[in-house]
Order: sequence, then C-alpha cells, then structure tokens
Amino acid sequence: MVEVRSVSKYFGALQAVDQASLGVRAGEVLCLVGDNGAGKSTLIKVITGFHRPDEGEILVGGESYSSLTTLQARQLGIEAVYQDLALCDTLSASANVMLGQEPVRLKIGPVKFIDERQSAKRAGELIARVGAAVPDLQAKVARLSGGQRQAVAIARALVQAHRLVILDEPTAALGVAQTHASLALIRNVAQQGVGVVMISHSLEDVFRVADRIVVLRLGAVVLDTPASATNRREIVSAITGMDETVGAI
Amino acid sequence: MSPAGPGVRSRLRFLPRVGARNLGLLIALAVWLVFLRFTAPFYFNFDNYRVIGLQIAFIGIGALGTSLLMIGGNIDLSIGSMMAVCATAAALVARDIGVIPAVVAGIAVGGAIGLFNGLMVWRFKISPLIITLGMLAVLRGIAILMTSGYAVTGVPDQFKILGGSRIFGLQSPVWFLFLGFIVVGTYLHRTTTGRHIYALGSSRDAAQRVGINIRKMTTGLFLVNGLIIGLVGLLAASRLGTANPTFGVGFELEVITAVILGGVAFSGGEGSLGGVLIALVLIGNIRNGIIAVGLDSAWAQVANGALLVVAVAIDQVSQEQREKYRRLLAMRERTPQEVASTKPASPSKQD
Ligand SMILES: Nc1ncnc2c1ncn2[C@@H]1O[C@H](COP(=O)(O)OP(=O)(O)O)[C@@H](O)[C@H]1O
Ligand SMILES: [Mg+2]
Repeated sequence: MVEVRSVSKYFGALQAVDQASLGVRAGEVLCLVGDNGAGKSTLIKVITGFHRPDEGEILVGGESYSSLTTLQARQLGIEAVYQDLALCDTLSASANVMLGQEPVRLKIGPVKFIDERQSAKRAGELIARVGAAVPDLQAKVARLSGGQRQAVAIARALVQAHRLVILDEPTAALGVAQTHASLALIRNVAQQGVGVVMISHSLEDVFRVADRIVVLRLGAVVLDTPASATNRREIVSAITGMDETVGAI
Repeated sequence: MSPAGPGVRSRLRFLPRVGARNLGLLIALAVWLVFLRFTAPFYFNFDNYRVIGLQIAFIGIGALGTSLLMIGGNIDLSIGSMMAVCATAAALVARDIGVIPAVVAGIAVGGAIGLFNGLMVWRFKISPLIITLGMLAVLRGIAILMTSGYAVTGVPDQFKILGGSRIFGLQSPVWFLFLGFIVVGTYLHRTTTGRHIYALGSSRDAAQRVGINIRKMTTGLFLVNGLIIGLVGLLAASRLGTANPTFGVGFELEVITAVILGGVAFSGGEGSLGGVLIALVLIGNIRNGIIAVGLDSAWAQVANGALLVVAVAIDQVSQEQREKYRRLLAMRERTPQEVASTKPASPSKQD
C-alpha cells in the first residue's frame, strides 16, 4: 500500500498540487486523469522522490514520510516508467532489463563479473511475467518495436518495484494494436501483486484498465471512485469542472 | 506485436553488427597485405613487424583510454599534448630527483590532468570537444614552458629500462599494449562497471534512473584516460631517454582514427576492444606499407586522415540505416489493415 495524504506542492506562488490524497493497494490499477497542468506529473514526482512536498505525508508500508528521496523511493520498491522509456538502444533487451541489478558470478574486491546466463534467464522470466513476447533477448533494443521496447522498460521497473509501478502516459506513442497489448501488460503487472498508477489522457484506455479512477483539477483531487461506479460523462465533467448538462451543449 | 516480416528481415543485414564490421576490417587488411606481397616483398620480415608493433603500441595504449571514454559517451582531444606534458614531467623528475618518483610523476600528472578535464566537462555542460580542444592548446604551451622549449636530456640509464627493454624479443610497450587490452577488455566486456559504461554512453537518462552514479563515472573515465596517457608519456620518455615538448603532435588524431575505425560509435554506447585491436593492426600496416612501396611518407598522413573520414562515414551511415529501420518498424506497427479493423472505436462500457 502506497498512500499520499493532504499533499501540497508549490512552485513559487503557483500551487501545482493542492491537498491531494490518494492510495494504491497492491494489485490495483489506479488511473490518474486530469487536464494539462492539473498537477498529475507533479503529484507522482512527489511519490518517486523528485519533488519534496510542501505539506502532507507519504505512507509506504505503514511508515510515514514527510518526503522521499529518489533513492529512498527506489529502495521502497517504487519505480516509474516515463514516456521516453529511457532505454539503452545499444544494449540488448536482457542487459536493459537487468541494468544496475546484474547478477554477479564472481566478485573480486569492487570488480563484479556479470553472470550473463543468469541475467538472460531472469530478464526472460520478467518479460514473460508481464506477458510480452520479445523474440530475441540478446538483440539490441534499437531493433525492437515500440510495444516490445515498452515491455522491456516495464520489466526493468519490475526488477526493483515490488510495491508500485508508475506509468506516465504509457500508450500515448503506441499504435492501436500496441495499445491493446500494452494495457493487457499493465493488468498483468497488477496481477503480480504490484500497485500500478497510470496517467492517461485516453478515457477509453482508462476504462479498459482501471480499478480506480482519480481526477485532478487545478492540483486538487475532485473525484476518487471505483471504475465500475462511474462513467465517461462523470469523469469528463470532473476533469473540466463543468456541469454535465453544460458539457452536453 | 507482429513479428518482423520478410521486408524487415532483409533490412536487418544492413544493421551494423560488430561481427560484420570486424570482418570488413580483416578483409581490408588481407587485401592490403596481398598487395604488399607483390609490390614490397621485403616488407615481410620480423624487424619490420617490430617497428610496426612499436608504433601500434603507443597508439594502442592511448586507444584504450579513448575507447573507454567514447563508449561512455565522451571524448578527450587533449591527449597528444597531455602525453607531452607527462613525458616531460617524468623526464624532468628522473633527471632531478629519481627514477621511481619519475614513474609515479608521469602517471600521476596524467591522472591529474585527466581528472581536471573530466571535472570541467562535467561542470560546464558544453561539448567536451570544445573544452578538450582548448586543453590541447593549453597543455602544449605548458609542455613548452616546462623546458623553455628544449628537450630534456641527461636522464639516468635506469629510467630507460621501463620503455626500452625487450622481453622474449618484444619491446616492453608492446607488452603493455597486450596487458592493457586484456585488463581493460575484461573490465569493459565482463564486469558490471563495464556494462554501466556502455549504459552511460547509450543513454545518460537510463543510466541515472537505474541508480548509476553518472557524475562519478564520467569524471572517473577521464581520470583513467589521464592515467593511461600518463603511462604513454612515461613509456615514450623512457624508451627515447629524453622528452621533447613536441611529443605527441597529432597523437589524438591517430588514436581517435583507430578507435572509430575499430567500431566504437562516436555517439557512445557501442563498440568492442577487439575491433579496435584489428583497426590498429590495419593502420600500422597501411602506414608502414605506404613507405615500404616507396611512396613519400606524407602519403601515410593522407591515408591516416582518409581513414578517419571513412571511419566516421561508416559510423554515420550505420546510424542512419538504424534510424530507417526503426521508422520501418514503427510503420509496421500500424499497418493500414490493423488501423481499419479497430477503427470503429470499440464500445466502451459507459455512455
Ligand atoms: N518544475 C516546475 N517548476 C515550475 N512549475 C512547474 C514545474 N513543474 C510543473 N509546474 C507547473 O505545475 C503545474 C502542474 O504541472 P504538471 O504536474 O506537469 O501537470 P500535468 O502533468 O497534470 O499536465 C503546471 O502549471 C506546471 O506549469
Ligand atoms: Mg504531465
């Protein structure tokens, strides 16, 4: 369980996040939606330790923190996958998945020799766990398709993230077929018992994958609801702040 | 996630692969040697190989540092002058203080300059090309100032042992080259830190996000490069029993040519020391062969420059091919049929 309580974040005079609270349970997909500039990215960056909140607290595994560092967040099992994926194009899929966590075969002082076989095996398992097909784990990532690259990035996040994976606009750059595959993959991640927060602009994607939907407007949480208890119209009016009858005009 | 169709498969062959690249270099080497076999029959004798070996050794040891830096996404153009400063420092200390302090001085001065360059490149996020180009001039001037422009002479004989001895018939710099390739190659290709150097050169962002200390690694690579150049300067001064502030003019160009020709990508993250070793052998044979067939030695310079241009061109073309391939893949991901078949927006559960 990862939770933020009454978190506020100011950039100078601008209040980017306003007393926002939300919680993600293990195995749950929470979709964070809102207009551009609503504060979605800022709020998740408070969770990943990029931003120090001005007010409020972050609860991870029952412990309360007034702020996290990026290192702390990673050690607590919170990982983010950004839209640019940040993969090493010149390295293999397996090297990318295990980057920074390479299994070690032999250690002589500070020199650690990589166990390549173990590395490939674990990378393969992780990619299989998210339900993606990457035919050749030793091929350079530059040769993979957009969907496969995303699977590699998410598998890499899963090496560390035992609590929470955060995805900022994961489907924005994908084609139709790839988006379907990607959403299935996100469900698989949640089924591993990891919490997922996904930011998306596509309500269609949101309703396909979300267990919970949280709407931010002007930095404040204006709606927090199970996906099964709401509909597109309610979400749209929460995002825009306009009454649904006005929205219908 | 449709598998690559036949169209995509055939494009795969154009992708740069270290194997194909090394094969190309080996073929070029074979063709050149056959040519020399007929035009310069005296070329093939052990003494000549020793001359080539020695030339390759200095460039090759320098190439170890530049390979590490370039794979990590950086470059140091100042190595030619840096080598002169280190050689001069070592020779001066050998003459005035002692041999062991001279060995330490040569390498330590290199390390200090390398670290300084690294800190500057890190602090001022300008192109390392510009910063280290400036340092190339600065250090050349310093080398001249250190000796008022004259060669350093009168070093003790023991100072000449390190670079001047032969072991099993091979000169010590050649042994340093072999040893260096084995140590650096193992480190680069087998260890976690080596992997992280590739990651740094490939995507700084990715490296940073998985928790690699990219500041420490960047400055560390410049430091190691400096230590290696310190060794080159020390070996040169020791071998010749003198140091001259004009040492190493154009050295950076020779080293960078070998590294890029050997398949290390100028943009970082790619390449292997095996390729660099093959490129070194090719360069050594071209330079010597040109003289052996009776051409003016200026042609060796022309060949060296031309090789650099060719190497960079190959590098660039392979990058472009890869880009094309990526676009092709992206298009295949959204074939018209796929788009058409899913176009009538699947009814969402609400509305
Ligand atoms: N680093 C920053 N410095 C100053 N203002 C920022 C910074 N990051 C975001 N903002 C501002 O905070 C508000 C929320 O931004 P953001 O969290 O990126 O929104 P969203 O991701 O929902 O589009 C915007 O008005 C944006 O301009
Ligand atoms: Mg955003």
